[in-house]
Amino acid sequence: MSQAPLLDEILRSLLRRHLTDAEIYLKRGRSRRLERTQVTEVSAISQERAWAVRAGNRRGSFFAAATGDAVPEIAWPEPVAGQSLELPEPAPVPAWTAPSDFDTPLIGEREGLKLLESLGRQLAAELPGARVLRAVLEDGSSEAELANSRGLRASTRNRISTFYIEAAGPGSPAATASLYVAAREPRRFHPTALARRLADRLAVSAAGAPPERDTGEILLAPVVAAHLLAGLLPLLVGPGPGARLLGARGRFGSDHVTLIDNGRFPGGPFESPVDGEGVPTREVVLVEEGLFRQPLLAWWQEGAAEGEPSGCTRRAGWRDLPAIGPTHFYLKPEPRISVASLLGAIAQGYYLIDVTGSGRFDLAADRFSLPVCGFAVQAGRASAPVAGAWLCGGIGAFLKGIAGVGRDLTFHPLDGMIGAPTVLATGLELSRG
Amino acid sequence: MPFSKLDTAAVARTLSQIAERPEDVVDAFFERREEVEVAPEGTAGLRVWREEGFAVRLARDGRTWLASRDAIEAKPFAEALRQAARAIPSATYPEPALEMAPPGAVSAPEMLDFPATLSRAVRAHHVGFPLHVAVRRHRRWVQVVGPRLVPAAESETFYSCSAESTWGRYGALLPRLDAGAAEGIAAAVVALFRARQAHPPAPFRGAAVLGPAAVAVLLHEAVAHALEADTLAQGGNPESAVGVAMAAPCLDVLDDPAAAPEGVRRTTDDEGMPVARRWLLRGGIVEQPLADALWARTSPVLLPGAGRRGTRHLPPGPRSSHLEILPGEAREEDLLAGSDEGLFLPEASRGALDPLSGEFVLHLPYARRFRRGALAGTVGPCVLRGRVADLLTRVVAVGSDARPAGAGWCAKGGQKLPVWATAPALRLEGVEIAP
Repeated sequence: MSQAPLLDEILRSLLRRHLTDAEIYLKRGRSRRLERTQVTEVSAISQERAWAVRAGNRRGSFFAAATGDAVPEIAWPEPVAGQSLELPEPAPVPAWTAPSDFDTPLIGEREGLKLLESLGRQLAAELPGARVLRAVLEDGSSEAELANSRGLRASTRNRISTFYIEAAGPGSPAATASLYVAAREPRRFHPTALARRLADRLAVSAAGAPPERDTGEILLAPVVAAHLLAGLLPLLVGPGPGARLLGARGRFGSDHVTLIDNGRFPGGPFESPVDGEGVPTREVVLVEEGLFRQPLLAWWQEGAAEGEPSGCTRRAGWRDLPAIGPTHFYLKPEPRISVASLLGAIAQGYYLIDVTGSGRFDLAADRFSLPVCGFAVQAGRASAPVAGAWLCGGIGAFLKGIAGVGRDLTFHPLDGMIGAPTVLATGLELSRG
Repeated sequence: MPFSKLDTAAVARTLSQIAERPEDVVDAFFERREEVEVAPEGTAGLRVWREEGFAVRLARDGRTWLASRDAIEAKPFAEALRQAARAIPSATYPEPALEMAPPGAVSAPEMLDFPATLSRAVRAHHVGFPLHVAVRRHRRWVQVVGPRLVPAAESETFYSCSAESTWGRYGALLPRLDAGAAEGIAAAVVALFRARQAHPPAPFRGAAVLGPAAVAVLLHEAVAHALEADTLAQGGNPESAVGVAMAAPCLDVLDDPAAAPEGVRRTTDDEGMPVARRWLLRGGIVEQPLADALWARTSPVLLPGAGRRGTRHLPPGPRSSHLEILPGEAREEDLLAGSDEGLFLPEASRGALDPLSGEFVLHLPYARRFRRGALAGTVGPCVLRGRVADLLTRVVAVGSDARPAGAGWCAKGGQKLPVWATAPALRLEGVEIAP
């Protein structure tokens, strides 16, 4: 049921205190969390009900958020002098139909536990002796309403599930691996595929060794490419820094590089017609066939850099202030190119299947290093496992050295959802670290 | 206390209806939180977060059911009780009166002055640079109710401060905001400033002296996390750790929430169990791993009292609160003595432990060389690596001056908790430090 009258009343009460710019955000949510370790099992169900208010004038502002119901008679905090609050104007929202899976109920306890059990069984089948140490499945849905003193009104719904798994391989000391994936609902998690990915990681980690130092053609699985893209985000979000990587004629990457952010990405966990401030979302092409088009710009950054702003302000929860960031940021796949054909084209090189830890990105020095595992490849075939290795190189060199992209676009929960297909990269180095 | 009007006896009676078996663990956890932040200049002024809610828990045969709500009201409580008990929807439970004292007006004058106090403290070091300071006050009130036990409500108040400059970010948790706190943060950010152009050291193996703040991070990761019952269970039976020689005989490490700084001191944990002065390591030997009520039921050698929860929406787990490393006899000059060059590590920015392999990493924002008892040049960011079992046996001397060693946030399993420490300096031999 719409709470519009309540929102209006609260805005009026703030205005009576001479807080001429004000915004109120109401959120209700529910979630189920199932966790299984080797010895314990937890089933939790939560219901959330909360609000957040930003209000201010030319002299100062405040942010207040709390659980429970918002009421106009709240004793608002005194604004503290600082940057005055600015809020977006209402704008027409292009038509959008809420996906049907927004209405699906949360996963049941029994169904969720079966999924966790099934993953354990599949992992043991893929790699005998391997075991799941900890698996956490979370499934949640929420509705939010937002109104501001400029007349903007918006309602949003969200549905997201996440799955975190820690596993150990056979032997002692056992190799370990973890996996974190997100989808709109848990029925999209396939235990066999997840178990296979974990088993590959564990097997490679147990048997692999890093090369002393090597270069060549390097095939990056989607998760590896997505981590690299996540590291590049500071260059593409907000005005300014992206230009540093531009080469001759505005070239940012090779012809195979088209980077897009889309708050309406169909099927995406953050698919929504408006962002966290109620501004309409849309597809924004940031880099097109290697040419830099524009950075991701919020409405208040209009004019600060070339390009059109879009709804790209995220609100992670009721406790969080809205902040600019990507929602579904991805490297455009090439529908005609299979992973097998990319792999088959490698005479000598590597196929990196996963990331094993946090990367280091020094954008000022144009360098990155990322811990990875995978296989050495000779004549299109895996020749030896590789583990404990670091993928290193220049950020500009990575983008400009992309020689091919596959069709297997997959998204990973990093900073927002970051998506990439398999990428064939040149000019990078693999070393012991 | 906000829970003074909560009818805990009625809650206890209601909980007793779902505790069907003697071994069932049933409780209700009520909490109210308030956070107030003075954000760095140039961002939205005062920020206030207030939340309250509860969780009902039933644990039986290794399985736990938890239902939580963002309100402390009778009807949602009865609903949550039904969910935790997995009762059929038509089953009804009594709705106990759950009245809470209303929250007071937000007032934090001590926080508004702190950024200026900190700037003055930095200038007293004869340096000046732009510093973005955010100060936050954290207050939390907790009431646990069991079917048979209703301990007194607990409360915590502390501050967190982050100071960010071009040369890095320094964060600290503080029991109070005073001149001493400002000087501690100022000294740390000035040290980061002075180390800004220092090059990381070449790979090094030798003596390292860890200052109290770095010792606190090291032992939090390498001893406290390693001795949590759920972490131990990943490698086998937690009780088998008892009696294992884990560290050099000169190391005595305790967890004592009752001796934490005033404002965060606890007499009961987040499960309502009395806290204990718990000897994690006595003479380097594991004596008493950290356990909560559920793990304590698995073995008579595990004692409850270390159950903590970062939020009502997640079940409690065994965690440390206030680590205490007992002082030794070494004076500062003894720790830095010796003809070979070593590294003095005053601060650690973070640490991480892989519980299965025992691999341990401590990230150091800067360090100083020492030789023959004297400190020398500064080196840039570096990393101390090792296996816990090996690293802790390399402690050869414990400083005689144990002091409040700062504190930090500890995140495990999605639960972020403040942890406190009192520690002396330590000298380790034959450790590996790399850029």
